[in-house]
Amino acid sequence: MQNQNDTVKDDAELAASISAMKGEEWGCCSVEEPSFQEDEAAKVPYVGDKEPLSSLSAEYQAGSPILLEKIKILDSQYVAIRRTRGDGNCFFRSFMFSYLEHVLESQDGAEVDRIKVNVEKCRKTLQNLGYTDFTFEDFFALFLEQLDDILQGSEESISYDELVNRSRDQSVSDYIVMFFRFVTAGEIRTRAEFFEPFITGLSNTTVDQFCKTSVEPMGEESDHIHITALSDALGVAIRVVYLDRSSCGDTGGVTVNHHDFVPVGTNDEKKEEEASAAPFITLLYRPGHYDILYPKVLDDVEK
Amino acid sequence: MICADLKVVRLILYLSWRDRLLCANSDMQQSRARLFKEYKEVQREKVADPDIQLVCDDTNIFKWTALIKGPSETPYEGGVFQLAFAVPEPYPLQPPQVRFLTKIFHPNVHFKTGEICLDILKNAWSPAWTLQSVCRAIIALMAHPEADSPLNCDSGNLLRSGDVRGFNSMARMYTRLAAMPKKG
Repeated sequence: MQNQNDTVKDDAELAASISAMKGEEWGCCSVEEPSFQEDEAAKVPYVGDKEPLSSLSAEYQAGSPILLEKIKILDSQYVAIRRTRGDGNCFFRSFMFSYLEHVLESQDGAEVDRIKVNVEKCRKTLQNLGYTDFTFEDFFALFLEQLDDILQGSEESISYDELVNRSRDQSVSDYIVMFFRFVTAGEIRTRAEFFEPFITGLSNTTVDQFCKTSVEPMGEESDHIHITALSDALGVAIRVVYLDRSSCGDTGGVTVNHHDFVPVGTNDEKKEEEASAAPFITLLYRPGHYDILYPKVLDDVEK
Repeated sequence: MICADLKVVRLILYLSWRDRLLCANSDMQQSRARLFKEYKEVQREKVADPDIQLVCDDTNIFKWTALIKGPSETPYEGGVFQLAFAVPEPYPLQPPQVRFLTKIFHPNVHFKTGEICLDILKNAWSPAWTLQSVCRAIIALMAHPEADSPLNCDSGNLLRSGDVRGFNSMARMYTRLAAMPKKG
């Protein structure tokens, strides 16, 4: 049963799945071989601790001067970074933690009520698309449960430490990631006309095929299509800060690009106001990976 | 119907008994709750999908077998093929392991082990699939073999070299030998 790749001791989930299969005489290829990426990823928790940005520059000590320059700029705008595991789910995982942490800290009951309305819309969307209820309802229920637990005052309300623990617990964390994947796929499919050009430009497949192979399966990486869809579906704005080697200096100096994904359909005035403020979720994108960033003072970031 | 109801009661009793024994493992609770929903769904769908007969093991909800009918206008037509499902604890985050118990000559099925090469059972799996829809996908695979990613090279080579007649007669022969009830 054990495959050639013996460096998987750390990967508890995999070990569990293999042991679950023991006693069965399956062909050698039935047990999925862990890829190198999974081995590496297993050494990092799903969601790490807050770290100062100096830990980021330490990574690039011998690296490109442009990156070091950009990290210096980031250092002036952000206090901390929180790393997530590079297992292909990092965008969804970063979004999950960042969103839940925001609700926990702000205790914004109105925001919870607002997103719950959108979650119910997503549920209807999936039903209309022909998804069987029981295939997604457990994932929806677990996310809604977290929202309720995070608002203080109820009996089950949880602490910050508990939120971190849950985010590192596969049976919670992966379920919420999967909830976001369902929501994202539902949004892309119902607005197929809108997303189609992006999808065919990216991977030359149909919208349905894209959702089946690149959105719904765990571990499939996200890009701007996923981010746009999730942001639109839940009505949550997301700022993505790009740390790459591009030097975008028309004026000569190095600057750090960012892009705000602002949900469509923010029509009424109050929402427009909110949309014009900086999104409360900020993610750091390095080619192939997303982590969470913490701005220094919320108001200053816009300037 | 009464018979099915009794089985449900038995399952509930069995599950609550197991809950008490293994209440710590949340992976297992989640997967069991999901499998139980699939079990009820299968009872409901029996009539709607006569080509698939999916049965849960009496004492272990993580073990299932299925009988599927070979699709018409294929060399598998008229055959009934048995599949074995082993469901891992992290299900439905991870796919079930499925293999043919009935011998079948097909490019994407290992001739000896019955292992199936199908993307949704590997990297394209998602919890949107169910045991029932996996059966449907396997029936679709029987009708549309992917000769370019063969587990059974002999079978794949016949198709790749364009020898459809050769492939059909081999597949037909094994369907007759292994997947059809012996007459008289």
